[in-house]
Amino acid sequence: MIRFDDVTFFHAGASTPVLAGVNLHIPEGELCLVTGRTGAGKSTLLGAVNGLVPRFTGGTLHGRVTVDGHATEDRAPQEFAELVGVVGQDPLAGFVTDTVEDELAYGMEQLGTSPEVMRKRVEETLDLLGIAELRRRPLRTLSGGQQQRVAIGAVLTAHPKVLVLDEPTSALDPTAAEDVLAAIIRLVHDLGTTVLVAEHRVERVLQYADRLVRLDGDGRVVDGEPATLIADSDLAPPVVRLARLAGWEPPPLSVRDARRRAAGLHERLRGREPATNTAEPGAARLTARRVTVAYGQTLAVRGVDLDLRGGEVLALMGRNGSGKSSLLWALQGSGPRRSGTVDVGGTDPGKASAKGARALVGLVPQTASDLIYLDTVDAECKQGDTESQVPPGTCRTLLDALAPGIPGDRHPRDLSEGQKLALVLAVQLSSAPGVVLLDEPTRGLDYHAKRHFTETVRAQAAAGRAVVVATHDVEFVAGAADRVVVMAEGEIVADGPTAEVVVSSPAFAPQVAKVLAPWLTVEQVAAALAEEAS
Amino acid sequence: MNRVSVLRINLRTAFVLTVASLAGLSMFFWPLFAPPEPEAMAHSADAPLIFLIAMPVILAVVLAEMSSGGIDPKVLALLGVLSAVNAGLRPLGAGTAGIETVFFLLVLAGRVFGPGFGFAMGATSLFASALLTAGVGPWLPFQMVSSAWIGLGAGLLPKRVTGKAEIAMLAAYGVVAAYAFGFIMNMWFWPFTAIGTSLGFNPAATPGENLHTFFVFTVTTSSFGWDTGRAVTNLIAIILAGPAVLAVLRRASRRAAFGVPVRFETSPRPGGLTPGADG
Amino acid sequence: MSLRDRWPPLPRTVHPGAWWLWSLGLATAASRTTNPILLVMILAVCGFVVVRRRGDAPWALAFRMYLFLGAFIVTMRVVFRIVFGGGQGDIVLFTLPEIPLPEWAAGIRLFGAVAVEQILGGFYDGLRLATMVVCVGAANALANPKRMLKALPGALYEIGTAVVVALTVAPQLVESVLRVRRARRLRAGGQKGLRALRGILIPVLEDALNRSLALAAAMASRGYGRTGHVPRGTRLLTGSLVVTGLLGVCAGLYGVMDASTPRYMGAPMLAAGLAVATAGFVIGGRRVRRSRYRPDRWRPGEFAVVASGLATGTLMYLTTRVDPANLYPSLNPLTWPEVGLLPAVAILIGVLPAWLAPPPESTQEPATAEIPAQGTAPAALPVGGPPRAARK
Repeated sequence: MIRFDDVTFFHAGASTPVLAGVNLHIPEGELCLVTGRTGAGKSTLLGAVNGLVPRFTGGTLHGRVTVDGHATEDRAPQEFAELVGVVGQDPLAGFVTDTVEDELAYGMEQLGTSPEVMRKRVEETLDLLGIAELRRRPLRTLSGGQQQRVAIGAVLTAHPKVLVLDEPTSALDPTAAEDVLAAIIRLVHDLGTTVLVAEHRVERVLQYADRLVRLDGDGRVVDGEPATLIADSDLAPPVVRLARLAGWEPPPLSVRDARRRAAGLHERLRGREPATNTAEPGAARLTARRVTVAYGQTLAVRGVDLDLRGGEVLALMGRNGSGKSSLLWALQGSGPRRSGTVDVGGTDPGKASAKGARALVGLVPQTASDLIYLDTVDAECKQGDTESQVPPGTCRTLLDALAPGIPGDRHPRDLSEGQKLALVLAVQLSSAPGVVLLDEPTRGLDYHAKRHFTETVRAQAAAGRAVVVATHDVEFVAGAADRVVVMAEGEIVADGPTAEVVVSSPAFAPQVAKVLAPWLTVEQVAAALAEEAS
Repeated sequence: MNRVSVLRINLRTAFVLTVASLAGLSMFFWPLFAPPEPEAMAHSADAPLIFLIAMPVILAVVLAEMSSGGIDPKVLALLGVLSAVNAGLRPLGAGTAGIETVFFLLVLAGRVFGPGFGFAMGATSLFASALLTAGVGPWLPFQMVSSAWIGLGAGLLPKRVTGKAEIAMLAAYGVVAAYAFGFIMNMWFWPFTAIGTSLGFNPAATPGENLHTFFVFTVTTSSFGWDTGRAVTNLIAIILAGPAVLAVLRRASRRAAFGVPVRFETSPRPGGLTPGADG
Repeated sequence: MSLRDRWPPLPRTVHPGAWWLWSLGLATAASRTTNPILLVMILAVCGFVVVRRRGDAPWALAFRMYLFLGAFIVTMRVVFRIVFGGGQGDIVLFTLPEIPLPEWAAGIRLFGAVAVEQILGGFYDGLRLATMVVCVGAANALANPKRMLKALPGALYEIGTAVVVALTVAPQLVESVLRVRRARRLRAGGQKGLRALRGILIPVLEDALNRSLALAAAMASRGYGRTGHVPRGTRLLTGSLVVTGLLGVCAGLYGVMDASTPRYMGAPMLAAGLAVATAGFVIGGRRVRRSRYRPDRWRPGEFAVVASGLATGTLMYLTTRVDPANLYPSLNPLTWPEVGLLPAVAILIGVLPAWLAPPPESTQEPATAEIPAQGTAPAALPVGGPPRAARK
């Protein structure tokens, strides 16, 4: 269905290719997962399928890309609309109209589909993706998962044979991600659609993939059976890494397969306890009592009590809209707080000046780039020093510790997600707050960046800070957090050590815990096995 | 690459634009040209009403002509998004609802993306703004045309000027544009508003006399103050945020790769290539 | 379909063009008279129809704004007459001290004697303009602006799409501005007013421009910009029609303004030029081949709305020909305005859409569906079904 014949792609003026000699053939009806680190060329590969690369991006494409026998060289991307549906990373950014129904019809209007057919297909698509009850809702009021399904529906109405998805679940919480994946699987099964999907969260998609395409970062592309290719990949999800430890061949791709083979491993681990962070947390750095946040008549946070202790990493979990962000903003003092008290070393950050609050509690908001407005990294660091009234160079030193080697003259917007996060964190840390709050920092980070970020967070805690990370990422939580607080409808519904809270929850359990509870991470298992061996 | 012209104006479009602009200008300034002979009253009494119909038609024809070759999706998305920003900036401007707007982004975008884009953006931002605030009315085509001219003019400023001189030039242009917009919209509204007073349009007077009366009208009514407020806002905004906004727009233009060559080569890829990481 | 099936009309959206034509008809009627009783009748008609047939969308609330604007216009006009327009009229109410302005001010004088005729003249004039503005306001309140964009002719397809995009993006930008403003406190960026502009505008603009690239890619891959091939002949025809038409318009404008030219060079020439240019515009629009989802059709309801508006306008225009006396109540001598039968009937026809037009559909979902309240922070929106989070 999709065919790359010896494809090499250069950006205009570049001397090294993004894709080099790619030969790829994806048969009809397959679900194909594309993996690779940030910047390895995943988006370029996906964009080449309908000719957006190079027609849209500029550059030179050698070789030939064909879909269903039509070469991208002969047709504009517009002419591929009936053949290839493309869904971008941020569904909201790709919406042309503002209500669900109009958005589903937009593509068909461009193709000149007759009104009767349009009407019928819109209804079919609404049902197929389970979004019929949303038909008149404004798109921006939908949740992330709903938006993603609408975005998929909007390209499906043209009845494409191929669906190309760039990071469809990266920004979603576990339940929303499952909804979106279920919709995709249904297309593959019921309609025979060929699906090409790039995803950082490999663990979510791997088990459904018929084929894996791996970009190694040097422009080359390898494709094959998921089980064989993932075995030695550095992007392997926890179950696969567990399989490496246990020597399972071929590695299981789903939790279910792993569980069926885990009996032996269970035996070997019997009598051992997962190593946990034994360091006793320090004194309470922040004490919040009966904190309530309301927007008009809607209560976002209802009377929350929370103690943050130095040296402890706390993960704040809960579905979108459960009040996590509102709580963080209220704790920092910049967000609204209707009632309750927050106490950081005798001062209430909500009553302090912006500068004072910043020195007590640092917050990295969900869209970290909102804080960046200058045009070089150095300028941002300098501004950070001035704002915090610290000696020049403080912020830059912090940045080098967090993410070494970022050129000072680089434009902050050109940094990778991980580097951007490091920059904003450095700016916020330059005023040396005792409490650090991070709202959804792991969005858009690949495995490597996430591993690095885990170290960063642990280092901050080791320095005696109290760290809070609001996140959906269960694997990250399992590796980084000492304590987990789960929020629902503005209230805390669970609070305790990571292992206790996470293992008992189907939605928040990491893969290893689903296979080998109470073990949470591959690292814990590895340590235990190493001990056994010695 | 200091400036790209993302919405190209070919010879035919340029001609249409010029003729239409002449027609448009005369529909603003007709009170000055209206003949002093008394029988012309019969002509000119209905003139404003005829123009209310003629202006939207002319505007539509020009915009259609500009987009007759189809607009590239990148340009169109840019046009839509920048119009939204501009429409959103409007309530931030000094003054009250209706006639005023902040032209600062329009001037900067016209500078970066060229005269055609500036013209289209001037028109679409006011249209979008009117739809958002339910401000659609006979005045809308006239406002759209005036702000389109401002965008066009910003795109036509001398290309070579850079650095501080560029900002100074744009700021000066912003001030002129603010006054010109106020002046021209006042001129349009004048015959409707002050008629029957000594400040009113008098069809029997000569153009010079009418211009004089109009000038006094502008100064004595508060509109002059509003225009000054708008001019000062433009000036300060361009000086303070201009360099940064220009940089952002130019970066966007580079990232959108306007005019970057697209090549397909079916021949075997260049030999001796060592694959390396990139992008 | 029998009458029984059609009456009363079922709720649906009325074509926005119908409301606009209706309101333009009323505005034309208003432009033909300064009789305050007739003008107030037109205002009442507008208000009544708006109240009966507007939906619950935000733009429907704009009508009130137009009423205020109308009141402002009337006040300004009267004040203008008092300040600048002294002198005319016999029944002097009071006399203010007169301030003569210097020579450069074209011999204008301020204040002086204030006569009833003068104030009433200003009031009548102002009321006429205010009524026309309120008629436009009625159309703004009744017509759905998004539907209006859908009804744009093919030649304006691209420009229309840009405006659709702008309308879609604008609320997202507002959210973006709020977010960035809030985030600035985190960095303790203390600047206020225009100085803060940079810190807010740059992140918002960067965000918006990134979005525009993503949007462009999405649009291209969904088939935007698929225009058919235009033969050279058609292109030439379109171009020459547009150019000829515009030249005709210029000539016509010259004719309108210059009394020495023959009459046919005036308005008729202008109209002919406009017609030719429009023809070019329509032919040029044929290149765009696309269809519309659930288009607004012209059905009997729409025709009834348009007919009532046009009837009001036309009848009023005819009155000016037949019996203009009561349309412009005399100020000298000052008389009480009277209302003739024909103009009264004309205006009352304009109220018919209050019953003939289909009522608007409610945009509210049935009570069972979950609707987040508008204006609350996104973080506060409950999403998904019953709590599924971990319980201990």
